[in-house]
Amino acid sequence: MGINKIFGGRPVLEFADEHSRRSFLRNAALIGVGVTYVATRPGDPVAFGNADRGFKNDAAKSDLDILNYALTLEYLEAAFYTAGLKAKLLKGRDLELIDPIQQHETDHVATVRKTITDLGGKPVAQPKVKFPAGTFTSRAAFLKTAGTFEELGVKAYHGQVTLVKDPALLAAAASIAGVESRHAAIIAQITGGNPFPAPIEANLPMGAVLKAAMPFIAK
Amino acid sequence: MTDTTADLIHGNASAVPAGVAIGALNNGFHLASAKDFNSDIEVLNYALTLEYLEAEFYRQGNKANLVTGKEKQYLMQIGADEASHVATLTATIQKLGGTPVGAPAVDYGGAFDSRKSYLTTAHIFENKGVGAYLGAAGFIKNKMILQAAAGIFGVEARHAAVVGNLLGLKAEGGVYMGSFEKGASKSNVLAAVAPFLVNPDKVVAAITY
Repeated sequence: MGINKIFGGRPVLEFADEHSRRSFLRNAALIGVGVTYVATRPGDPVAFGNADRGFKNDAAKSDLDILNYALTLEYLEAAFYTAGLKAKLLKGRDLELIDPIQQHETDHVATVRKTITDLGGKPVAQPKVKFPAGTFTSRAAFLKTAGTFEELGVKAYHGQVTLVKDPALLAAAASIAGVESRHAAIIAQITGGNPFPAPIEANLPMGAVLKAAMPFIAK
Repeated sequence: MTDTTADLIHGNASAVPAGVAIGALNNGFHLASAKDFNSDIEVLNYALTLEYLEAEFYRQGNKANLVTGKEKQYLMQIGADEASHVATLTATIQKLGGTPVGAPAVDYGGAFDSRKSYLTTAHIFENKGVGAYLGAAGFIKNKMILQAAAGIFGVEARHAAVVGNLLGLKAEGGVYMGSFEKGASKSNVLAAVAPFLVNPDKVVAAITY
């Protein structure tokens, strides 16, 4: 069936602008199943593929490794929002929208920790965090870093989808990932960024994510 | 699927008993039951039906000129995302050797009467979409398809949050739906979208809010 001839022949694929059209074409072109699963370009933000993007190192990780990786990121996020809210940089609707995020991240920490324990694993300790100077000096700086964290979190979760073995864990990870997507979108919206950077969430391997998170972990 | 795919992952997810409950986390995948989907293609066709509904919804809604400025820009972008999902799912089903379902006849009733009804209906669609993907994901056997489905699911969550915020809904329960997304069963999702699906001779009554 031709995708241009649905809804009784009325065109569905009508694009608002050139950006939307290009975004669509890029996505349609990489449909990653059945052939190679590799994006047409390295670093394509909507690539499904694992090859050559650093995922080979992740393949040996166990589910517990992946959970502890998620836990590390959630620790960072929870600490970040706790410190940010304490700095009282937000008010009104901003505060109303950001306040629940701190609770979500704290809940993610508790749940991921408990899951690790339930599976007989040992949760990693909370890393000592440090936030670069200026992070909590203004609304703009705080929200900018928040956006960075959230987009990173989204990519981190989506990077592990093909690597988690236990379907129940995958369900759990997905239910957290969706919440991180909401956070990322809202922060982009209130800061004038793009809440919808791609039609399909991008993903990153562990190495790249941890590298990006390093500035926030104290030595 | 190819053996290469299986090599990329650690075994076959379908070999693990579904519904292994792990604390509070296992809130989505067990919603789908064996009778809901027999194959990945069936899951993809289910998703495709929902994406058809969403894509056409935004196409009509954006044409109705109910919104302006930044809001319009967001809704155009969401519409383009949904159209992209239709294309992705259609091509994926074809690549797997399946037959994509046709687009359903639709009628959105009074959804385009006002900005508020447009956004409110959009909010319902997006949140149902989030639940639908999460509820059906446990059925997907091929991990690469799961990756794509998860990637679409996340974007639906973005749409849901932003539309909720455009409506000025309360943060928790309007923009966010708690600390964990919840899956929706196939029957729940289909019941929710049923008012928009019509046969050619029948037009549904306008939905009201």
